[in-house]
Amino acid sequence: MSLVELGLYFAALSLVSVGGLPSVMPEMQRYVVDVKGWLTPSEFIQAFAVGQAAPGPNVLITSLIGWKVAGLPGAFVALGAMCFPAAVIAWWVAELWDRFKDSPWRKAIQRAIAPIVVGMILSGGFVLATPGSPDWRLWLIAAIGAVGMLATKLNPLWLLGAGGILGAVLL
Amino acid sequence: MSEARETPVAPPKDLRELFSGFFWIGARSFGGVLPWAYRTMVEERRWMTHADFTETIGLCQFLPGPNIGNASIVLGKRWFGLAGSIVAFLGLMALPFVWVLGLFVLYTDLSSNETLKAIVTGVGAAGAGLFIGTAIKLGRPIARKPAAFALIAACFVLVALARVSILYVIPVGLALAVFAARRKWL
Repeated sequence: MSLVELGLYFAALSLVSVGGLPSVMPEMQRYVVDVKGWLTPSEFIQAFAVGQAAPGPNVLITSLIGWKVAGLPGAFVALGAMCFPAAVIAWWVAELWDRFKDSPWRKAIQRAIAPIVVGMILSGGFVLATPGSPDWRLWLIAAIGAVGMLATKLNPLWLLGAGGILGAVLL
Repeated sequence: MSEARETPVAPPKDLRELFSGFFWIGARSFGGVLPWAYRTMVEERRWMTHADFTETIGLCQFLPGPNIGNASIVLGKRWFGLAGSIVAFLGLMALPFVWVLGLFVLYTDLSSNETLKAIVTGVGAAGAGLFIGTAIKLGRPIARKPAAFALIAACFVLVALARVSILYVIPVGLALAVFAARRKWL
């Protein structure tokens, strides 16, 4: 039963996931942890960490959530549900988008999406760094990650690695 | 790109080459897929030009869904139709799917170890920081306009603090944002 629920919910999220996976992270955390209780807050951040550290598109984090909920079928269903509806849209819209290259509506939509995506990604970062009650140590590590990314051109893996070391020392 | 003059750009010859290209992107994309997609498709295999790549990724960033996943759908369709989309998508996901699950199973086995748990939690917090950094990078050029700043702030308050579902926030927010953009407020 939870497999069907998971699939339908992720499929709905797929349709609104402008900006990709980072945009839907706060919602996944809310639904999977707060509403359904399938994962604890700390399990969620750990699944996220594994998904970030492994190679590949970060949407694969959804397969880890599916795995926790219902094993291997859960992993397939979660990933498929998150990708398929959006893929259908991409399939249809790609050519349409070219055809409306000079339409004022296209330009308006492009400009409109940007602030929404920024708001969602910011929320995702905040929610992930705040599992349960606020913890200054997690906020400090997140702040270092953010500053490191903005101030340097390091491969993000180095920043994740630094986060791991800080985690071992502080947590 | 200086190499652009060396070999002409040509799409993959067949589905096999399409699969192996995307498989290779997925296989080595440590620390983010986009740079590897660029290296593979533009620099090494010369399937497309720099401009074409930028344009396609730009489109995929505006569509819902994973950017690079969408790119596999769009490019697969352009070159080989439906079969191309399916093959490119599966190629991209195949190995990373196995890796991420394998790593997670391994981690779950070992997660009674408190130090390891602390390390992984730290990695997660740093990953959250990368999100915040990305938001600042994308937001800085647009947030000077009051309407854009208000939308960003409203999204944050509703989603991060009040924990309202994005199934409501995104459609309503987009409608307001398109309205604002049509009035030249964004």
